[in-house]
Amino acid sequence: MFKIKLEQKERVSKREDIIITLSAIGIALVLSGIFIAFNGVNPFVALWKVFTSALGSPYGISETLVKAIPLIFTGLAVGIALNSKLWNIGAEGQLFAGATLATAFVIYGPVLPKPLELTVLVTLGAIGGALWAAIPALLKIKFKMNEVISTLLLNYVAINIADYFLFGPWKGKDNFPYTPEFPVEARFSRIGFGRVHAGLFLALALVVLLYILIYHTKTGYKLRMTGASLKAAKYAGINIKKMMFMVFLLSGALAGLAGVSQISGIEYKFHQHISTGYGYTGIIVAWLARTNPFIIVIFAVFLSIMLKGADSLQIAMRLPAAVGTVMQALILFAILGSELFKNYNIKLIRGK
Amino acid sequence: MNSTLVLMKNISKSFYGNKVNTDVEFKLEKGEIHALLGENGAGKTTLMNMLTGVYFPDEGSIYFKGKKITYNYPGEALKIGIGMVHQRFSLVGNLTVLENLILGHPDNKFILDLQKNRKLIQTYMDQFKFQVDLDAVVDELPLGLRQKVEILKMLVRNVDVLIVDEPTTVLTKQEADNLMRILKEIASTGKGIIFITHKMAEVLEVADKITVLRKGILVSTVNKTDTNAGELARMMVGKESELTFERPEVCLTKNFLQVKNLFVNSNKGVLAVNNLSFNLACGEVLGIAGVTGNGQIELANALTGNREVIRGKIIFKDKDIAHDTPVQRIDEGISYVPGDRVNVGVAGSRSVWENLIMKVYRKSEFKRGILIDNKKLKKYAEKIIEKYNIFLPGINLPALLLSGGNLQKLIIGREIERNCDLYIFVFPTRGLDVGATEFVRKSIMNLRNEGKAVLLISGDFDELFALSDRIAVMYEGKFTGVFNNGDHSLEEIGLMMSGHTEAEAVKEMSNV
Repeated sequence: MFKIKLEQKERVSKREDIIITLSAIGIALVLSGIFIAFNGVNPFVALWKVFTSALGSPYGISETLVKAIPLIFTGLAVGIALNSKLWNIGAEGQLFAGATLATAFVIYGPVLPKPLELTVLVTLGAIGGALWAAIPALLKIKFKMNEVISTLLLNYVAINIADYFLFGPWKGKDNFPYTPEFPVEARFSRIGFGRVHAGLFLALALVVLLYILIYHTKTGYKLRMTGASLKAAKYAGINIKKMMFMVFLLSGALAGLAGVSQISGIEYKFHQHISTGYGYTGIIVAWLARTNPFIIVIFAVFLSIMLKGADSLQIAMRLPAAVGTVMQALILFAILGSELFKNYNIKLIRGK
Repeated sequence: MNSTLVLMKNISKSFYGNKVNTDVEFKLEKGEIHALLGENGAGKTTLMNMLTGVYFPDEGSIYFKGKKITYNYPGEALKIGIGMVHQRFSLVGNLTVLENLILGHPDNKFILDLQKNRKLIQTYMDQFKFQVDLDAVVDELPLGLRQKVEILKMLVRNVDVLIVDEPTTVLTKQEADNLMRILKEIASTGKGIIFITHKMAEVLEVADKITVLRKGILVSTVNKTDTNAGELARMMVGKESELTFERPEVCLTKNFLQVKNLFVNSNKGVLAVNNLSFNLACGEVLGIAGVTGNGQIELANALTGNREVIRGKIIFKDKDIAHDTPVQRIDEGISYVPGDRVNVGVAGSRSVWENLIMKVYRKSEFKRGILIDNKKLKKYAEKIIEKYNIFLPGINLPALLLSGGNLQKLIIGREIERNCDLYIFVFPTRGLDVGATEFVRKSIMNLRNEGKAVLLISGDFDELFALSDRIAVMYEGKFTGVFNNGDHSLEEIGLMMSGHTEAEAVKEMSNV
């Protein structure tokens, strides 16, 4: 008989951290394989298909990147909040809020020259997301309401508001719940690689800017301290309420940009399905990347491979659409479970 | 009958290559109070954590009542009769005492008979001759009582071995005396008690046997009757420390800091500082004595802007700063060394250097355009580390890896380097070993002699008597006495701490 003993670790080295995270992803893939096998498909073939469909052709790569763009935005959104130990589960709602506000300008505003029009849309998208995030921020600061609950529930409110416009004033000519197509001025240019659009550059520029903000500015220092310890931050003279509010606005703005990049970059109209849960997948991205903006890009791409791969499994292998969701969930579970190995030494002991 | 309860043989343990315990032997008999004495980081708590199954020894074996034991999980120790009261209490704050005591008690299976439990607990309190209100909510109890609840919790589980880790650090003198009495009572019933401490006086008062550890190595185990304080001190630190300070007159501005009719609320919205007025001169140390929870912390927080002033004035360098923000006070030259150094003084999960720049990162000298100059800030941090001889595993590693003494050096070094005019220290040496304590006290004295105004909130009378020019005794948000250091005896101050005025205290003592 062997018995398992847990012993608290003093700290985890970077090397260990990386090995444990990669192993967790590996285990999640094995478990996904078992799930796929239950559906009567050879899991090795299926997993191979996931990677080849996502990375095996220029088309696959471009589609993977298309999915990675909103994930970078939402990953950054959740990640910047995590830097201050704030949980923004509401990126999905903020994405819709940003898209709604930007669409309102397309519908009611004048058509401006393209650079100007896009600048306005991006700004409005950011403002929309930020305003939506301001609600849970104020609730937290004024009434100490837990932001996990409020951000999550406000998602449904934002989506229903969008639905109101889509089924009401913005309904298309053919009575379907989507807006008319956006004029060319309101569309991000393609960069000549499939459907990949200029939103990618915006996302990557924000990655660099946020990295500088977090690690090389006074605000970033305050943000890191606030995230590490509210008491210590207060002691250091940091106005923690102001910091929390600011972080929430920034987080919401980034999520709002994901909305704009979807409507202006991919769909060219606003409808109910501009996001396939990018706001939620962003949580996984941010958690995996541990708040470093550059690593967020890596994991955004990784998860978009999963998303793209799952799409192909659905089509090519007739697997249920849930496969993609299950794989994501398994990855998140494995990562959360792997925390145990980061915090404890596990010892196998020969017992009687 | 074998009277040995616990035998730990040849115990060694290391963390990341640092030997914390080396070949330690420890023996506990029935009915014995065995003190485990040593400086911070001597390996006392680690040794006991192995006895209770929190850690596993790398080498050596542990015997309990003659049988060798290996634990599978930490809860097992309590099951076989070894209970530990940790420095940080493990009570559920919003439950009552009774609820805490029966929480997880193995006798309560499915049906919970509160009356039966209450009676049972009462018999324990009668047996060991102490009382706690079973219906009081734990959060509302003073620390001394909470500790009694912790001890009672162990007794109700019928432990044979009771380990108490630094039990008096949070207690007042009276509470500590009371605790000693209870421990003796418990030992008289045949249970064994292990008393972890670094305070010599307590050891000599209560212990039967004393084991001294230094740097993880067993120095000696002696009977109390065969030793004395001097010998123990030598065993513990290898040196004797007696501090006396020169106190020259350096500065004459009497009203450097003027507090006028100050009112401050506590966390719970109750008045904690009640119409308080006092002056502090530059080049002066004003010691504030008092039982914990009489408004000292609220006063410190009000002075530093971390707590709202309801009414009153704080005139500092001829300007009322009562309603300035914390950051303004930092810039005005007020420095604060908080009592909770682990949670407030640093952000433990951030690196050492980030913690060292906490109050200077905003300065223009560290600016680089709109960015801040991390290299320069790191250099600034390195300078402090070198100057104050802070021992650390790495400047980029989290501050929580530092030992208590080095952490306090980090905080005090950081504050001294800012060159402020008013320094507020709260329990600056609590929990520190002799070496670090000496460093802190010398630093405070240096600040005074450089003409800084120092407010010293402390519960340690050696410290207050050694450092203060004047002493104020705080009771329920007011000063019951303010006098020159040396004007009153410890006993008189003790009376003032329990609410007597200066005159009453003197009168009372002259009657004795």
